[in-house]
Amino acid sequence: MGTTWLSYSLSDFLMFGPEVFLRLFVRINQDLWPWQGVAVVMVIAIGALLVRGDAMARRSALLLVAAAWLWSGAGFLMHYYGPINLPAIWFGWAFVLQGALLTVAGLFWPWNAATNRPIWSRWLMGIGWIALMGLSPLLAVAQTGNGQAAALFAVTPDVTALGAVPCMLLFPRRVRWLFLLLPLIWSLFSMATLWTLGTWVLAVIPGTTLVLAAMACFVSPRQARNPD
Amino acid sequence: MAHELTRRRFLAAMAAAGLSCRMPALMAAPKGDVMTNPIPSSGERVPAVGMGTWRTFNVGGDQYLIDQRTEVLKTFFDLGGTLVDCSPMYGSAAEVMGEALDTLNAREKLFSATKIWTGDGDATRQQDRESRRKWGIERFDLQQVHNLVAWQQHLATLQQMKADGDVRYIGITTSHGRRHGDFARIMETEPLDFVQLTYNVLDREAEDRLLPLARERGIAVIANRPFQGGRLFRRFQSEALPPWADEVGCRNWAEFFLKYILSHPAVTCAIPATTSVEHMKENMGALYGALPDEKQRRRMAAYVAGL
Repeated sequence: MGTTWLSYSLSDFLMFGPEVFLRLFVRINQDLWPWQGVAVVMVIAIGALLVRGDAMARRSALLLVAAAWLWSGAGFLMHYYGPINLPAIWFGWAFVLQGALLTVAGLFWPWNAATNRPIWSRWLMGIGWIALMGLSPLLAVAQTGNGQAAALFAVTPDVTALGAVPCMLLFPRRVRWLFLLLPLIWSLFSMATLWTLGTWVLAVIPGTTLVLAAMACFVSPRQARNPD
Repeated sequence: MAHELTRRRFLAAMAAAGLSCRMPALMAAPKGDVMTNPIPSSGERVPAVGMGTWRTFNVGGDQYLIDQRTEVLKTFFDLGGTLVDCSPMYGSAAEVMGEALDTLNAREKLFSATKIWTGDGDATRQQDRESRRKWGIERFDLQQVHNLVAWQQHLATLQQMKADGDVRYIGITTSHGRRHGDFARIMETEPLDFVQLTYNVLDREAEDRLLPLARERGIAVIANRPFQGGRLFRRFQSEALPPWADEVGCRNWAEFFLKYILSHPAVTCAIPATTSVEHMKENMGALYGALPDEKQRRRMAAYVAGL
């Protein structure tokens, strides 16, 4: 039996082809229309809140990111992806749990009232984040050649995980890892799936998430300046 | 409505004739009788080309793809196929098959084959019941133990189910050449109607022991992965068929690969899977015409190995 397992490849565990997978993006966009607008507003709002940077803005940004985990987990993963790939259901529950945890953290985390980041850093963060969330959906369009396949933040899991990772920098490093675990595990799973399907362009998204999450584990927020 | 034969019409007719020679699978309807093989344990005959559903019918709730797969199944039935093989392992494939059968109202034509795939040796009947519900049938023609998972318990229950009339035939499966030693021991000791194993023009390990054993024991053989999950086409599609392909009854690579399998005397049926109506037509072409003899089979294997 031991050598039997060695004979399996990743493709042996994949029960669907690229056509079926890529149509998930088209289907969810067709079914959601025109409510994708909510996701677009969320992206702009989170970017603006990252620029503002005060405690209320951080709370609000994290609550929106929590909603994104909930929406993409219950919608894309459990309703669309799960019927063709059982582990997607399990990940769907994990996304929902992540959303619930972030909601609690967003509501109750004791942030200082004022931001300790310089203004240029906040602008860079906010604009960079919006740009990342604006460009990432186009990779699914490039992969499929279909404009209806745009993979939006809060709708599809890969872009949601990618967008969530920079927002976790709002937490101190000692607790941040807790919220980076799921993006890391999901992105490894997604990379393996996309690699096996041969959808290389889409694989850029979880690949980027893995790099950002690894970097986020080592970045510390700037210490608040002592007024004295 | 008599038409005068003009130069233009003559050239058009010649062009159409030439085109039909270039695309025989598309232009020529299959001729002759459907090739069938007997199930040794009963003598019942089944068409030699069946249909697999691995990866192809797991489309979830995508109605566009469900309709498209229904067309593939319709083509399969229209061209003489009956045996469809599935597994609980294949995600939503069983539900999609049930919906397609509803649409086509084609359960009368169907030889239904599926598998028991659970490590819980006590769940055989429960999984059979669940699969029947998804397919919308009263009983399966063939129920197999998937990849020898918990095979002792499942096979014992399947034997009882067969005795009770809850399933017509029983069998075991493997793929990718795995566990052939265990597989052979079960074939030698257990009463089986069918075995399912990987056999194609490149994966020929089964020729050494399992196929002769199946003949000796009177067990029907279903060949899975006849195209190596599509790899044979990716590898050889750009190559020319041998100039003697028509001597072995082959008009395209699909027929070439399938007829190599079907011409083995132990093989009852091959189960290619496809998402394309055109590919289904090509596959079903192997149900018609001549089969290669032993000498020609060796030539076919050598040709592919030499490419």
